[in-house]
Amino acid sequence: MGSASIVRRRASCEVASVWRIAAICAVIALGCASALAAGPAQSWRIDEARTSIAFRVDAVGFPQTRGHFTRYNGRILIDFEHPAKSFTTFTVEAASVELGSPAFNAFVKGATLLDVEKFPTLSFSSTSVEKVDSHTARITGNLTMLGVTKPLTLAVNVDADGASRGRTVSFIATGTLKRSDYGMSFGTPLIDDALEITVKTRALTDE
Amino acid sequence: MNDPRRGWPLPVRLFHWLGAVLVLWTLALGTYMVQFVDDAARRFELTQTHKSIGIAILGVTIIRLFLRLVTVAPKPELAARLTVLAAKLAHWALYALLVVMPASGWLMISTTPVRVPTVVFGLFRLPYPLAPNVPLYRLAHAIHLASAIALAALIAVHVAAALIHALLWRDQTLARMFWRPSTSGQPAPVD
Repeated sequence: MGSASIVRRRASCEVASVWRIAAICAVIALGCASALAAGPAQSWRIDEARTSIAFRVDAVGFPQTRGHFTRYNGRILIDFEHPAKSFTTFTVEAASVELGSPAFNAFVKGATLLDVEKFPTLSFSSTSVEKVDSHTARITGNLTMLGVTKPLTLAVNVDADGASRGRTVSFIATGTLKRSDYGMSFGTPLIDDALEITVKTRALTDE
Repeated sequence: MNDPRRGWPLPVRLFHWLGAVLVLWTLALGTYMVQFVDDAARRFELTQTHKSIGIAILGVTIIRLFLRLVTVAPKPELAARLTVLAAKLAHWALYALLVVMPASGWLMISTTPVRVPTVVFGLFRLPYPLAPNVPLYRLAHAIHLASAIALAALIAVHVAAALIHALLWRDQTLARMFWRPSTSGQPAPVD
């Protein structure tokens, strides 16, 4: 009886393994099918060493404030044939804001500005990508900050040239938003309402 | 009793020199951070220190005014009537500026739309009793700047006058701000 139950258990394990393999194959097949349906947009890896998500804001009687975020997640899909099918999304961790001073960081993370406890992330997802010329593109997307989502357009400088052509693409995306649109009106009019964003990144592919 | 050789009581002397150190520190710091610091983070940090020192000066000045009012001042050294009057005016102008400077600073930080909490030397949070008001902030800023220039000029006059007393007229005016002179005219090193 003991050996029979062991055999039965082993058999059920094997059946389970077969089903698991089948399920994995199905997921891969579905994934491939959806990738084909979406066209040849490739997902590129983000080179973190060459990526910065920075901002700057001017003020009256105070130097220009420059900061950046050190923790983020991003995804870049590029379709050179059909640029409109390209896509990008970035999510940054609000508490990773870095301005060069612990006291300044703490203040900017506070309730009057980024309010990181209530709004731990800021995100941007593209809704349209438009090729302007061989080196520039325009990305429109939704920026979510302090729980408010508003459209934002970024001008993007694309550099796909260089020694490693086809394997790396560098981007410099710039755009300006009005802080008050997102409910961040702290310091206006002494601190400008306009906040300039610059995202520099480099995408890599192994293909 | 009201003898020029009588010195100032120890608390008067201590708070005079404490005030002097704080005022020179924050005048230099304020000028440096506004004129020479272009980095926002550094300016932010220095401004926090500047605010703490300013509030400390306000506290020290209030104590000094109280001490001055309850102290019988030693009689001024012999000098022309006009000189004594000028000295008296200059001293009260110094006291006035030592109140106006920090008070206008406080008005600035409590009326600016850029409301950054002030935790004085990390000890207590300064109340901001007024609502942000840009015209009032600009007025407070102008007063703060003008009084800083006036205070720096008056300190120069004050130091020059003290040196004239000590080096040219060789009287006890400066010495008695350091120690209480003995009755024999020799300075006593300890109070």
